[in-house]
Amino acid sequence: MARGFAGTTLRIDLGTGAIRRQPTDEALFRRWHGGRGVVAKICYDEVPRDADPLGPKNVFIMNTSPMSGCLIPAGSKVEFGSVSPLTNGQGDSNMGGHLGPALKFAGYDMVIFTGISPRPVFLFIDNDTVELRDASGLWGMKSLDCEKKLKDELGEDYEIATIGPAGENGILFSCITHDFGRQAGRTGQGAVMGSKKLKAIAVRGNRSLHVHDMDGLIRHVTSIIKRTQKHPNMEPWQKYGTAFFISWSNDNAVIPTRNFQTTYYEDTNKIDGDQLVEKCLITHKACFGCWMNCGKYTKAVIPGKPEVHLEGPEYETGSLCGSNLGMKDINHVAYINWMLDNLGMDSMSGGGVIGFGMECFERGLITEKDLEGHSLRWGSVDDVEHFLDMVANRRGVGDWFAGGTKRAAEKIGRGSEKFAMQVKGQEMSGYDGRWAPGMLLSYMTADIGAHHNRSWTITVDMAEGRESVEGRAKIVVYLQHIRPLMDTWCICRLFWGELDITPEEIVETLNLITGWGVNPEECLRASEMIWNLNRCHYLERNKANGRTFDYPPARSWEDKIPSGPGKGKGVSREQVEQMLDEYYAARGWDSKGNPTRAVLEDLGLKDAADNVERLGLLGVPIPGGIPPVRGEKYKPKAF
Amino acid sequence: MVVFFKAGSELRHKLQPDVDYYTRRVETEPGRTVREILKDLGLDPAFVAFVYVEGKVKNLDYVPTEGQNLTLQPPVSGG
Repeated sequence: MARGFAGTTLRIDLGTGAIRRQPTDEALFRRWHGGRGVVAKICYDEVPRDADPLGPKNVFIMNTSPMSGCLIPAGSKVEFGSVSPLTNGQGDSNMGGHLGPALKFAGYDMVIFTGISPRPVFLFIDNDTVELRDASGLWGMKSLDCEKKLKDELGEDYEIATIGPAGENGILFSCITHDFGRQAGRTGQGAVMGSKKLKAIAVRGNRSLHVHDMDGLIRHVTSIIKRTQKHPNMEPWQKYGTAFFISWSNDNAVIPTRNFQTTYYEDTNKIDGDQLVEKCLITHKACFGCWMNCGKYTKAVIPGKPEVHLEGPEYETGSLCGSNLGMKDINHVAYINWMLDNLGMDSMSGGGVIGFGMECFERGLITEKDLEGHSLRWGSVDDVEHFLDMVANRRGVGDWFAGGTKRAAEKIGRGSEKFAMQVKGQEMSGYDGRWAPGMLLSYMTADIGAHHNRSWTITVDMAEGRESVEGRAKIVVYLQHIRPLMDTWCICRLFWGELDITPEEIVETLNLITGWGVNPEECLRASEMIWNLNRCHYLERNKANGRTFDYPPARSWEDKIPSGPGKGKGVSREQVEQMLDEYYAARGWDSKGNPTRAVLEDLGLKDAADNVERLGLLGVPIPGGIPPVRGEKYKPKAF
Repeated sequence: MVVFFKAGSELRHKLQPDVDYYTRRVETEPGRTVREILKDLGLDPAFVAFVYVEGKVKNLDYVPTEGQNLTLQPPVSGG
């Protein structure tokens, strides 16, 4: 076993309660690197294609990487994965905090859950002690309250992950919460956890991890620490986090406003980062092994409501629960953030779902009668509070919205699909792509649905020209390989993107820890392999040509931006089609969006090629063969 | 009047530092805003989210004074 690993993987059958310890499969990690890569491979191999994501045959995985818990900048992330109930494709989501390192310190690299427990349980890990404990008394509790109760009962030094009522009730955009404000939010991993009657995970560990070259690692990481401490971006990040970019998004016509109707919000100054620091900030907060402390622990104070404490809102929640809902007070944005956190809903999808509901209400597609006598008006935190209670408990039309905007639009109909701002069932992140075509393409093609963290291209769009789409596809493909590598390695992306730690430096760290001797090109190839496997998995589960699933809602090309600096701008349907054509060509897929045998076998995925071929979904060979480099050539610098 | 602009990440390449790895010495007229100075340098202000000066965030309408150090903050590439 290479160094860096804790050495043991836990397999837990929740149906029988059996807990098995296995040696961690180093070959699996060596090929798929860890994090989302290993998770993708296990889900592909073990979950039947017709399995209900919320049924007993889905797996639920908590995973780390060989770097987790070691001396590396912000190696704090823990990855959760399963087939997503939100997208019906491979799902993964990660969060910072301290849980991943704690799992390693307890002696475990990964936990794989199968089955469904006959009663609510939580997983208790304290080094060698691994138990499923009764959680009947916790079932029904809200996420943050449950974490506090477990901390009180077990001890402050346990790292806790919980779900809230949303996860228990199968709300498809449910999240997993940890450290009173860190969430694995996307793809409904909290709903899968809830379907298994797994209320929480509590971990304490105090063992050491061993690395391949300790002296070299200390020298290497020390030089990184010294350099990043002098980096110009460090101090602003430490003081302000990401919330300060709301004004920039507004100035540059990408901020989602009133359910992505426009990209200009006239009250940005009431919800921007300076308001957060002035009115809400309590203290700064860091994840394991991080000296950036970009997390902002805050309070929300609204007359007539209890003062609540939370982490955030950061940029994504600030925009999706701020401008996107027409909020005019940072305390209201923070309060909605807290409600979503405590109910156990992803605050990004949550903001998208509420915004969609507000537009439906504005258009008369849902009424006060549907909302138990309440309204759902832009800017009303009281309306949001009642609406979320309906959704979390699946009351009335709340049940429609519990499946996210795509499913709600299918129920509501009457043209609402046009402004259900999602792709593949997952709600868009906090950027409107109408005048940022690369960003729109990123949403359209992301393996887990519309999510910015696979590829973010706003400044690329600005540099390359926001009116044109030419050449954007290769850049998106390149970013879709390099950016998710951070989730494969279970490290925070910000040190790479914002503080100039290079991929070479991260790979060198990986080698100093494991002794593997890999290079960046090899890592990018692994990332491409993961991407193609997830594509095949999606096709096999959804049984249609890939192109079918890659379109954004029609608002994205039918409606030009109506106000602000982007007024009159927008992509056309023809440009959407052009981007898809160029994207598939850049990936070596056919024009239907199906991977070809040539590219799959080049990546070592012959079995996946055979599987999609049996369904008639293998891409037809490309005249001239697949491109030798898919996407842009490797660029050592980040965008 | 002389001010000093600092930038990291992708902005550093656009700024073309000349004092040290991150810093560029800029001669300008008193009273000009950061936005105007950036344009004078041929640097598109859209790539700068805000400036950080003396521990505070300022927008691009900020008017720097002689000898000030100003950090140009790029937009976060996804929050």
